[in-house]
Amino acid sequence: MERNQMQMHRQIATIRKSLFDQGYLDEQFVQLEELQDNSNPNFVEEVVTLFYRDSARFLYNLDQALEKRPLDFSRLDSLMHQFKGSSSSIGAKKVKIECTHFRDYCNARNTEGCKRTFQHVKKEYTTLKKKLEAYFQMSRQAGPIETACRPR
Amino acid sequence: MTVEEIRGSVGVSNEIDRFPIGMRVLAVDDDPTCLKLLDGLLRKCQYQVTTTNQAITALKMLRENRNRFDLVISDVHMPDMDGFKLLELVGLEMDLPVIMLSGNSDPKLVMKGITHGACDYLVKPVRLEELRNIWQHVIRRKVESKSQSKSNNQEKPNQGGEGGQEAGSGDPNGKLNRKRKDEDEDVEDNGNEDDDPSSQKKPRVVWSIDLHRKFVAAVNQLGIEKAVPKRILDLMNVEGLTRENVASHLQKYRLYLKRISQQANMVVAFGGSKDASSYMRMSSLDGLGDFRTLSGSGRLPNAALSSYSPSGMLGRLNSATGVTLHSLTSPSMIQPTHPQNLTNSIGSLTKFQPVVLPTPPNHQNTNLFQGIPSSFDLGHLHQNGNKPNTTQIPDFNPIDESRIFTGPSSFATLGSQSSLKMASMSSESFNLVSSSSSYLDVPPPMGENFHDQLPPNSSLKYGYSASSNTIPSFGSNITSTASVPLEAQGQRHGQYGKPSYSPYSNNAFSTLAAAAAAPPPNGGGLGGPVSQANDQICGVYNRSNGNGATAMQRSSRETERSSTELKMGSGEEYLLEQTKLPSGFVANNGYDSLDDLMNGMMKREQDPTIMMDGEFGFDPYSFGSCIQ
Repeated sequence: MERNQMQMHRQIATIRKSLFDQGYLDEQFVQLEELQDNSNPNFVEEVVTLFYRDSARFLYNLDQALEKRPLDFSRLDSLMHQFKGSSSSIGAKKVKIECTHFRDYCNARNTEGCKRTFQHVKKEYTTLKKKLEAYFQMSRQAGPIETACRPR
Repeated sequence: MTVEEIRGSVGVSNEIDRFPIGMRVLAVDDDPTCLKLLDGLLRKCQYQVTTTNQAITALKMLRENRNRFDLVISDVHMPDMDGFKLLELVGLEMDLPVIMLSGNSDPKLVMKGITHGACDYLVKPVRLEELRNIWQHVIRRKVESKSQSKSNNQEKPNQGGEGGQEAGSGDPNGKLNRKRKDEDEDVEDNGNEDDDPSSQKKPRVVWSIDLHRKFVAAVNQLGIEKAVPKRILDLMNVEGLTRENVASHLQKYRLYLKRISQQANMVVAFGGSKDASSYMRMSSLDGLGDFRTLSGSGRLPNAALSSYSPSGMLGRLNSATGVTLHSLTSPSMIQPTHPQNLTNSIGSLTKFQPVVLPTPPNHQNTNLFQGIPSSFDLGHLHQNGNKPNTTQIPDFNPIDESRIFTGPSSFATLGSQSSLKMASMSSESFNLVSSSSSYLDVPPPMGENFHDQLPPNSSLKYGYSASSNTIPSFGSNITSTASVPLEAQGQRHGQYGKPSYSPYSNNAFSTLAAAAAAPPPNGGGLGGPVSQANDQICGVYNRSNGNGATAMQRSSRETERSSTELKMGSGEEYLLEQTKLPSGFVANNGYDSLDDLMNGMMKREQDPTIMMDGEFGFDPYSFGSCIQ
């Protein structure tokens, strides 16, 4: 049992590391983790969950706005600005990068560019979400590290 | 001042000795993710955190109890209110340090934050290390406040006080180091509180609209140049008010005026608007612009105005201008959306205005618009030299003022024009409908200046109904289309061309407002047109809007000014033409925040204190009569 738990923790650590190495997450995520403690045991997951909820709304609005013709670039930019803000708050690195590209196209008033990058944004967001969900699920299963390391 | 003293003056309920631990922070951000993150980070620093995702709620909390928080952190980009407006309001009313937060690190925004009085500007995502140091802003204010009050106390009354304040704030006429002024002012307040040996924390003085109106009236009466706290205090004759309170408030007022004038300068593009003074007025008016929003989506003027009796209107007009200022100062008074609030807000707005505008050298009529606190406005108007014709509202040079009021930016241009307008107004027979709030028909938003700042809802409708009563002399300048419909709701009603809104019969104001340049009704957007004569008119309108509604509409302070200036009390309705004044917020760009504030205030809730019945704030400024 203990060993399993330790193994799980090791696995989780590996996954976590890969998320950083592959550029899905950045330093900001570490900040979130640092804020998690006994008084705030699920802080990271709570914040990320809020992010999912927010994002769903932003992405929906952006989708709607992109359907209009002609495109209202300033509105798109404003929406994306907010989305970018919350992505950067949780450390969603790739998502944030795509958001920046989107805004560049917005500023250039490039319709095609906007629509294309928006697809990228959505893709990165979905990928990250899946990975994080798997990550958190494992963490929950593994239980707190202390248990695993408690000497018998 | 010792560290202990400082600490002691910090939140009583906190572990004072362990400051900054336990420092009470209010965090405002519409993005839940960021807000939660901020909450977590602040708790990690061991601060006491309160969060809200609505600026309006935040303001409410702050107003309920000013001593409840030590520091405010606010996002810039928020749907219900522009972060900068919130910043200004908080700075003016509560004197608390405010830190801005944004995902955008654009230097222009940072600059904007600074000019609006933010003590810091953080870029998202925020890091823990950055938050660990924010307590310095709280301490700094206390330190400055203490030293300020100390020096004030040591000085002789009147002179001493004045000197101290002036020194601190730099000469009122000159460009003060705004930051210092802000700090000084803040310090002043704090200092006043802290200096009292008997109590560690004196209750803050709430500068209600009424109080502010009185203040403005007193300042106008004395002349902005000569207005010293002691004499202002004597004139105001308010129990429980200390010279220090007045001094500190005066400092803020001056700062505000200066800021407006700066903005006006910027906006001068309009056509030689009358320089900063008009701008200042405008700003002040704009500040009221917020009132516009207050008036609640536009409805106010009409609704509110109707409640005003004609006589009241005049007063209102005057007060309207003053209101703008007032609102700025006493947001609490402003009842959002409630028409009555408008008056109040307007009154407050006007109040604000007077404060803001430094009495121009040729400020002749102290009473700017009949007692309109607009003293500042008038003063300014005159400064511009353009004295628009006439606005001879009882010694009010409405035109000048109106120019000023039209909001700094937009009004600037309007200034000259507004004066003309105002003049025209006077000549016209205004049917000042006493009850009709003359909405100044504000020409489509004039300047871009105004808009960007104003939140959509802030569009105030300037409905200056040049209530005849108030604008006596207006005739000359304010011929402008009195009807500057201020759309409180942020809508830029550029086109208000409707002269004389009945709701605001502020008559005088309407004309003024119109003259003042149809400040763009919408809080920000309207600024454009307003700049022109709007300045004056706006100012006038704003003021006259005593109707509250109008004032609110004025959110663009301008209107306020114009209205006050218009003081056309003569019962004629000033149909202020909106010459361009975008009724609404006269672009006080800088003052959008004020406007927004006002709007926010107005929207916020119906402040029972504001009584829209016309007496909101406007009463003190009865037309013709000098400020009390």
